[in-house]
Amino acid sequence: MTSALFTAGAQPPAPSSRAGRLEELARALRPGRRRIALAWAAAAFLGLAAVAGGAGITADEAAVLSAARGGAEGDASAPPVLDRGPLAPLLARAADATASRIGLPHRVAVRLPALLAGALLAALLALLGHDLAGPAGALLAPALCLLVPRELVLSATATADGLSAALGLGAIWAYRLAGRTRRRLGASVAAGLLLGLAVAARLDAWIILPVVAVHALLERALRRGSTERSTDAPDGPGGEDGSDDPRAAALEARLHGVPLAVAAMALVAPLVLAAIWPSLLVPPLRTFAAAVPSGAGLPYLGAPLAPPRPPPGYPLLLTALSVPLGILLAEAGGLVHAVARLWRARRPGPPALDAGDELLLLAGAIAPLAAAQTGIAPLLGGVRAWALAFPFLALLGARAILAAARTAWPARARPLAAALALLVLYPAARAVARGWPALGGTWNELAGGAPGAASFGLQRQERGEAAHAILPELEARARPGARVVWLGVAPEAVAVYAADGALRPDLSTVADPADADLAVAVLDGGSRDAEYRTWAAFRTSRPVSGVFVDEVPLVLVYARPGAWR
Amino acid sequence: MTVDPQRGDAPGRAWSGLAARLARHACASAAERWHATGAAARLLWARRPSASRAVAGGFAVVLALAGAVGVVFQGGLPGRLPDPIDWAALGALLERDALPGDAVAVSPGWAERARLAAPGAVPLLSPASWKDEDLPGVKRVWLVSLPRAPGFGFGVERALLARSARPEPAIPLGGLAVTRHALATPERPLAFLPDRLAHAEVRLGGAPCARDAAGFRCPLEGGGAAEVLRTVRQVGGAPRPCVAVPAGAGAALTVTFPAAPMGRQLRGHAGLAGDPPRARDAAIRIALRVDGEEAGAVDLAGDGWRSFALDTARSAGRMRELALSVTTTASTGALCLDAMTLR
Repeated sequence: MTSALFTAGAQPPAPSSRAGRLEELARALRPGRRRIALAWAAAAFLGLAAVAGGAGITADEAAVLSAARGGAEGDASAPPVLDRGPLAPLLARAADATASRIGLPHRVAVRLPALLAGALLAALLALLGHDLAGPAGALLAPALCLLVPRELVLSATATADGLSAALGLGAIWAYRLAGRTRRRLGASVAAGLLLGLAVAARLDAWIILPVVAVHALLERALRRGSTERSTDAPDGPGGEDGSDDPRAAALEARLHGVPLAVAAMALVAPLVLAAIWPSLLVPPLRTFAAAVPSGAGLPYLGAPLAPPRPPPGYPLLLTALSVPLGILLAEAGGLVHAVARLWRARRPGPPALDAGDELLLLAGAIAPLAAAQTGIAPLLGGVRAWALAFPFLALLGARAILAAARTAWPARARPLAAALALLVLYPAARAVARGWPALGGTWNELAGGAPGAASFGLQRQERGEAAHAILPELEARARPGARVVWLGVAPEAVAVYAADGALRPDLSTVADPADADLAVAVLDGGSRDAEYRTWAAFRTSRPVSGVFVDEVPLVLVYARPGAWR
Repeated sequence: MTVDPQRGDAPGRAWSGLAARLARHACASAAERWHATGAAARLLWARRPSASRAVAGGFAVVLALAGAVGVVFQGGLPGRLPDPIDWAALGALLERDALPGDAVAVSPGWAERARLAAPGAVPLLSPASWKDEDLPGVKRVWLVSLPRAPGFGFGVERALLARSARPEPAIPLGGLAVTRHALATPERPLAFLPDRLAHAEVRLGGAPCARDAAGFRCPLEGGGAAEVLRTVRQVGGAPRPCVAVPAGAGAALTVTFPAAPMGRQLRGHAGLAGDPPRARDAAIRIALRVDGEEAGAVDLAGDGWRSFALDTARSAGRMRELALSVTTTASTGALCLDAMTLR
């Protein structure tokens, strides 16, 4: 593999130039960039595996598991239910069938594809970070993304959100590559494949296609304007005319100038989608409607969310209150920095900056937020609806930190950048440790952490994720043969805990509190009607145990007399 | 002897000359300092960092401050919250000093570890509002606050102070503060009717409902049965002990309490159970019969936990048969109904 990305603003060598080919070969063999990406992929996989080993199963992950097992009955021989994005259930099923044979717990086995997607995300961020800000950018960008606790847990669980974000970033990476490499055709087809897979994971990933189409139009307009102002300005990176790849140039000529990657994404992605998701072709509208899970009823500022559209400012406010403060400010600075660079790129004269990259980064960061606000993306809990924005925000943040250090104190740029990175990342890492095990309900310093967020009436956890933390105590203290009612925990999650041996086999599950000896109630800040009915059935409102994060209750256990030792 | 003030050696003239010289000197030195300051400012201005460097420096400082805020916040949070020993102290305090008619309130409302700490005999109440909600049978409220917790507010404190006869000083227990409020006008119900459901008779559309272990089962016209239970349901964002009656039964449901102590007023609440309820904006009609005679009716509309009051002064001080008849336009879900007779 000799294809290589060129750093922003660099001119690709002409194919006819022998020196250019040698330079390209040298670039490809230069170890730093790829070595960092590989190291990040390995580190991310191991770190995410550690997270996956302890994270509980949310209601949405349980839905994926249910679909993977062929429905709520959990019949392993039944075909998987693919009425929602089918990629995550298919991969979870395949991984479970393979990895559980070698003794991995089911909970970890079904999460293996997500872990691999997380590793891919980290590697892509390292590559793009290197292109944008050099080796330091390659080191910093994945950390800024994966140390956001909510992004971390998305990449460690079998929901479609992390998978779709990684594949979506891959599609945009391939689209960008198609404008800069000699193998434009291959990169374009890869972009289409990855987009198809991303949409098969989560339907609203289709917004990537209009994003890149608009990006291609704007980039062309910017470049044309720049060329008109300065007639001697060279073409942007990649060569506008595609002369470096005759086949690509010929194809683009047939497409009346539509960039090859955009055309490939528009043509290949539907084919991939139809191959993975045949039911989409038969009753498309019904399938589309069924494919959108709803976060209706989740608490937001003390009131339940109501479909179809979130309240104004919902994605921005949730991002501002959930991303660790240092990372949040770095990302905000990165957005401003990108806008400033885009403004500078409009100046007359030879282009010193690649406006295309700025446009792509800004579009990648803003489009998912806009899709969530307008209701194009489904109304999901937490920041999941706009998970695709976080990799781009991390890239912008990493570049902004490094640029600030370089500009503010050129003589001590490296130590300053390292100090800033440490100050930004350390509180985030600590927030991860502190929010464990309910990382889906982590709130930042602006929100006042978990206590502040609970006071504001915000969601305390992704539905059901903290239930896993009560299992050891349940195992130790529940009366033998006790019947347990699980309130707010999906039956599939309980089944996986039982299959993994995390739940004592003599404890049976019942559906009605009236029939139960013990009740495990998960508190996400929303409705507690089922818990209150348990009070009436058990004739007590006094729990016997619970799971708390910073004194905020996430799980409460109620028991009939004698059922708790 | 007089001195000509026009002479040069006159004392007044000498003083004025000295003052003028001093003033001139002061002016000169001020001007010199001004010029020096100006020169320094011009020098500094000439050597000022470029705009981009200043912005970058400012951004770096802001990032560093944000990181420091994060470190300080994470490090300081445990100190702002109660320890296990504080909760144990709360349990011991309530065990020792709580009396019948006492209840616990928490502020902020999420601090429900108090449920584990408080003795079982002292209920923890969490009404939607402490300002005006009924607190039947409660004489004193122990307010357990986490005053240093992020997001803490004084809403519950203010509401309880307004209802309190005499505020007592707060007892600090580490990260907790405990304040005892004796209510100025405690509500002492003669009877809280949901607690008497076991002795009641229930009819749906005139047909009697069968008593079972949990409550009553009422046969429905289309087959099946609807349950009438003494339970706790979430209505209007808070737990409500009530009688749950089926909303979609299609006929009036009548609950008759054979011997209820009567007072001047029957006060109660009703609302569709669940949060959010399965049906919304349903109209509810509640009719009261005392010893078989019509004693009043109310129509309730809107969402949430709606209150009503009926005058029963004519029967005050006696034991009477009391029948509540409920109809609603809601076609599904359950209705949560409570009522109490007040002196």
